[in-house]
Amino acid sequence: MAETLLDIAMMHSDSLITRAREGDKNAQGKLVQLWYKRIYNFSYKFFFDHDLAMEVSQKTFISMHKNIAGLQEVGRFKSWIYTIAVNYCREEARKKKTNRALSLNELRPGEGEESYRWEESHHRRENPELQLRHTELSDILQNCLMELSVEQREVVIMKEYEGLKFREIAETLNISENTVKSRMYYGLEGLKKILENRKITKETIGYEL
Amino acid sequence: MNYKPDEGMLMAYLYGELDAAETEKVQLYLQQHPEELKELQKLGDVRSAISHIQDKEVIAPPIFMGEANVRPLWQSNYFKTVMSIAASLLFLMIAGKFLGTEINYSGGELKISFGGKREPVKEMAQSSLTEEKVKEMIQSSLVSNNEVITSSWTEDQKRLSQSIRQNLDQNSKRIDALMKGASDTSQEQVRGFVASLQNENLKLMKDYFQLSTADQKKYTESLLVDFSQYLKEQRNQDMMLFQTRVSSIEKNTDQFKQETEQLLASIISTPVGKNKNSY
Repeated sequence: MAETLLDIAMMHSDSLITRAREGDKNAQGKLVQLWYKRIYNFSYKFFFDHDLAMEVSQKTFISMHKNIAGLQEVGRFKSWIYTIAVNYCREEARKKKTNRALSLNELRPGEGEESYRWEESHHRRENPELQLRHTELSDILQNCLMELSVEQREVVIMKEYEGLKFREIAETLNISENTVKSRMYYGLEGLKKILENRKITKETIGYEL
Repeated sequence: MNYKPDEGMLMAYLYGELDAAETEKVQLYLQQHPEELKELQKLGDVRSAISHIQDKEVIAPPIFMGEANVRPLWQSNYFKTVMSIAASLLFLMIAGKFLGTEINYSGGELKISFGGKREPVKEMAQSSLTEEKVKEMIQSSLVSNNEVITSSWTEDQKRLSQSIRQNLDQNSKRIDALMKGASDTSQEQVRGFVASLQNENLKLMKDYFQLSTADQKKYTESLLVDFSQYLKEQRNQDMMLFQTRVSSIEKNTDQFKQETEQLLASIISTPVGKNKNSY
């Protein structure tokens, strides 16, 4: 994962976390600004649903506001905030299982220019068609990710997209590091099979792009 | 070689989280087991495939924290209710204390009274006393009071007189001491004063004599000078007078000379006859 300015800022946010822990509302607000995108994207990849991702993100940061004073070590903020997010994700997943409600967008995503995803593409590149293909490929792969079990999915997302170390994932999920690695292994194995089933290979991806 | 890395080790290798020694071990193993390497490469392909899932752009919405959720204990309804009951009870108790309220339940009757309790027993005791007894009691108490007062008064007087005497003695002693001191100091002062006066007089006399002699000298000198000047002037005047007289005599003589000369000349110049005729 390429290091953006945001990532660097997150790395150097120790003083911000210290101030937020002491009750500085301004610092808490800045932490929200810094971490919102990461938590949202983690939740989005977990659910593949914008509304649920927003819900989880909001709940996570409200919980952060309430409980940051009790954070023991500043260095553990990253795993701490992902723990909150994972717990809310699991809670929402349980609710979703019982409700079984579908959004209109899930019913009929549409194809090509009819797709609502035209509107979703915020940062359009010079070639809108290419952008659309990127978005569609992203969605296809996201669907593959959704076929994994919750345990494997959360580990894969944390490792692949959030760049957490195995030790940090173990801390976040409160499990052993070996279990994390094992889940990661079987997650990748599972994805390999899913991609094979859908006939998604290196070549098809290259053709798609 | 019996070494076979487990799934965890392979994952750590795949994500580069192994130290150098372990990495080398796994690499050696994979070189020796190409089928395992192929499997791992496939997993690497899966990684590169799923890396195409893009991050969604999102703007953090403002999150407002309701302060009402963290109400302190004293703002909770339960606390307010309990406190209001406690306050009203306290108010009733204070009011009861000030009004002298008494609530009594005895013999199947409830009595609520305000303004203190009346004691009928005392009234009974008072009624048993007669006037004479009271008078006697008053007299006896008066007598005892008087005795006490007189004794205390005499004691006070004694104390007062003692203290006055003591004070007088102390004061007289002090005054004597002061007087002594004053007389001693006055004799010394007078002597000193007289001595200083004598000294001053001596000085004054000296100064006076010195001054007077100097003045007399000056005066006599000036007198002598004046007299000599007077004499000078007198002589000058005499001299002037003398000169004028001498000069007048000179003039007279000169005139006389001239007249005589004229007479002689006329005599000489005139003929004899004529001279005879004229006389």
